Amino acid sequence: MSESLARRETKSLRRRDATATQRAHGENVRELLAFEIAAETYALSLDAVREILKPPPVTPVPRAPRDVLGVISVRGRITTVIDLRTRLRAHASEIDKFSRVLLVDDGDEVVGLLVDRVLQVYRLSDEEIELASVVSGDLSEYVIGIGRPHRTRQSRSDRGGEGAALSDSDILILLDHVELLRR
Amino acid sequence: MDDKRDALRDEFLAEAQEIVESLSRDLLVLDQSQKEGRIDPDLVNEVFRAVHTLKGVAGMFGYSQLGNIAHHLEDLLDALRLGRVELSQEALDVLFEGVDDFQRLLSDEREGTGDRDDSPRRSRPPSSIGAAAMPSVLPPPPPLPGASRPPAQASPAAAAAPAVREVDPLSRLDLDSSVLTVLTEYEEHRLRTNVQQGVALYRLRVRFSLTSIDASLEDLKARAKPVGEIITYLPSMDGGDGDHIDLDVLLASRASPTDLRDLLCSGDAVLTEVAIKRDVKTPVPKAPSSVPEVAMHRGSTAPTDPEPGLVRSHETREISADQLSLRSVASTVRVDIRKLDHLMNIVGELAIVRSAVGRVTERIRGRPELRQLAIDLHRVNRGFERHLAELQDGILDVRMVPLGHVFDKLARVVRQVGREHGKDVRLTVTGADTEVDKLIVEELSDPLMHIIRNAIDHGIEQPDARHSAGKSRTGTLALNAYQKGNHVVIEVEDDGAGMDEIKLRETAIRKGIATAESARDMSRDEAYNLIFVPGFSTSATVTDISGRGVGMDVVKTNISRLGGVIDVQTEVGVGTKFTITLPVTLAIISALLVRVRDRQFAIPIAAVQEAIVLDSKFVRTVEGRQVLSLRGSTLPLCRLTDLFHLDERSDAGQRQFVVVSALGSRRLGFVVDSLEGQQDIVIKSLGKSLSNVRGLAGATDLGDQRVCLVLDAPGLLEEVLSTTDVSVGAGGWA
Repeated sequence: MSESLARRETKSLRRRDATATQRAHGENVRELLAFEIAAETYALSLDAVREILKPPPVTPVPRAPRDVLGVISVRGRITTVIDLRTRLRAHASEIDKFSRVLLVDDGDEVVGLLVDRVLQVYRLSDEEIELASVVSGDLSEYVIGIGRPHRTRQSRSDRGGEGAALSDSDILILLDHVELLRR
Repeated sequence: MDDKRDALRDEFLAEAQEIVESLSRDLLVLDQSQKEGRIDPDLVNEVFRAVHTLKGVAGMFGYSQLGNIAHHLEDLLDALRLGRVELSQEALDVLFEGVDDFQRLLSDEREGTGDRDDSPRRSRPPSSIGAAAMPSVLPPPPPLPGASRPPAQASPAAAAAPAVREVDPLSRLDLDSSVLTVLTEYEEHRLRTNVQQGVALYRLRVRFSLTSIDASLEDLKARAKPVGEIITYLPSMDGGDGDHIDLDVLLASRASPTDLRDLLCSGDAVLTEVAIKRDVKTPVPKAPSSVPEVAMHRGSTAPTDPEPGLVRSHETREISADQLSLRSVASTVRVDIRKLDHLMNIVGELAIVRSAVGRVTERIRGRPELRQLAIDLHRVNRGFERHLAELQDGILDVRMVPLGHVFDKLARVVRQVGREHGKDVRLTVTGADTEVDKLIVEELSDPLMHIIRNAIDHGIEQPDARHSAGKSRTGTLALNAYQKGNHVVIEVEDDGAGMDEIKLRETAIRKGIATAESARDMSRDEAYNLIFVPGFSTSATVTDISGRGVGMDVVKTNISRLGGVIDVQTEVGVGTKFTITLPVTLAIISALLVRVRDRQFAIPIAAVQEAIVLDSKFVRTVEGRQVLSLRGSTLPLCRLTDLFHLDERSDAGQRQFVVVSALGSRRLGFVVDSLEGQQDIVIKSLGKSLSNVRGLAGATDLGDQRVCLVLDAPGLLEEVLSTTDVSVGAGGWA
């Protein structure tokens, strides 16, 4: 997915009133931005992602924690970029043409997260999400749960044929951005 | 509704704060002049007016508690300005406490715990201006002579002033009774005081143009102030036309009539001396009550026979003076510093836009058919650049505030702490108008307060001890500020007992901060610097004021966070001097860009003394650390490659440079690969996630999308040099 497309999608979705979405489906729907890191698919709440950037030149910061890639300037604002691979205990990534930086606001600070590629936006209802506590006791504290989106969204009447059209690639690891950025 | 109320509240707070601050400043001047025995009556009147305005403002916005305190203070000040109460230290105590109460109420209100009449919460009652404090200062109200007379017309001042028991001096004046009848109580009091002190009175007839009378009057007052006192001014009865008005100015002065004429008379102004009849035989029985004749006269005539025009003009003047002070308060705007930061960020972005336009212009220039367009665009861009620079300067200028703001607060601390300790302390201040970035001023307040408390608590001796040491009983604390290049230097100097290096060493050993051996090996300066080590305090007893063992180390931390350094000099029996060196502004600085391997760094020019080519012939090692012999002195070296663990290629054969950084008395040479020029940069802080990274002051955007890190030269200096200090000075706790 190209940067402009992702950004347009972020914007158009942001504009939509969350409660209106909720009312339309009559249930709690989460909007998630899915991205790839070391061949695994992760997702962050779309509300947390402010912007998606092509990685600008990064200035390394000596003495910074290992997972800090460096700092970039986002329209004059100095922003720390964290290599999500290192943070998620994978190997540090090479920046290539698919790499993107997600700008995420944790309330105190806007931080850039380097990911391998951005996939798409998912809208998941509660029943499409398994909470971390259910899945396993020893997941990292920043994993909220596992998302299993229906491949084709079914009408509400015959919802219940759960898992019918799922493949492995549709498993999303849902991350809590505040917990993720906590030191 | 709530928004409107908030806006009102903010308006009230801003206005009240301004008034209280100026009140506080005036009180300090009064305090000083009281000690020197020369009180400026104008200033007392000024303070009275300020409190009066505050009362009005509080009433207007419905803050009754504040209004009540103001009302009590106003009573006291009224008595003071009319000479019914002497301006003593006790009276000043009450006034200072009043100001503290105002401050407290205002900050309560700011935090939303204030007492508006319609607010359900009520804060504590004012601590000092209760019924308890007033009677000790205020005399019982003088009995009113003549019950039929309305109180405002009575002259209690006359009743209390001892001199009028004989002959009222006013009756000796060759003044028209129509003048005396329209004087306010205060003016009458000032007139009487001047006459009693034998000051000559003059009448100055000046013609003013009606269009510029306000400004002309202010000008006249300013010129008259150094030589005398303007008691009052009244429109004369026979002068003036449609465009002009003649004023009779009543002036008390010790200057000669010739001097006064030179100073005050321009155009057709006429100065005449008001004769004082020395030999009036006013029989005492004629004034059986203590009420002077004039006051009697006035009391009986004023209600029935005032010059209507005169009275009215007089009232108008009172009102306009109040409006004047309100207006001057309203002409300043308080701005959240974050808004200025935001504006500064926008300026930074505009600078980037500008260089982008520059690049586009270059591209257009390459197309012959668009040449004229390129030239026009270039010119427009130049104009843009110029205005942008002005905007940047303007914002920086707005951020600058005089150090006087923080010095005023400190003067109150000096007074309070001195009185708590029974120590006589005189504060002298120079350079209060030195300007520093607002952020620095805010952050300076606490460290300076701590140094000052320490100086009074530990430094300045009790009056008796001072006396037997052959010093004056009054200790002096000097607060000096001045600009020195890109830095502002603030000195806090006391003439107290000084610090004894031997005792400092002993304390350090006792507290386990240093071993006996390391303490012995310390240089004198290192021993003095022990006071900045956490956990070190020389006070034998822990007092409320200082000596809690937190303090000087926190002071040092706070100062270095601002990019400054603190040094101490002391001599036993002579005193102690703290010198704080700070950058003028945090926002924009000139920086030297350097390269180390593939990294670029900026070093603030303010921290750079010189840059030289590194000649390895002169590099020596001392205890495993590299030093450079530079013109006969030893300069410790710091290789940024080592410090930052950069690529460890061999330097052999490569030409390198040393950037000599100096702050205070300490120097350090940073070894870099190349120098890449000087540039003005906007320092931006690194995010919270990098706040623990030491050695970096921030980062800057150089405009080509590249971010350049800015070295924290003072911090690195501290870090690199203290690793040697620790091995000597603080081995005990390492």
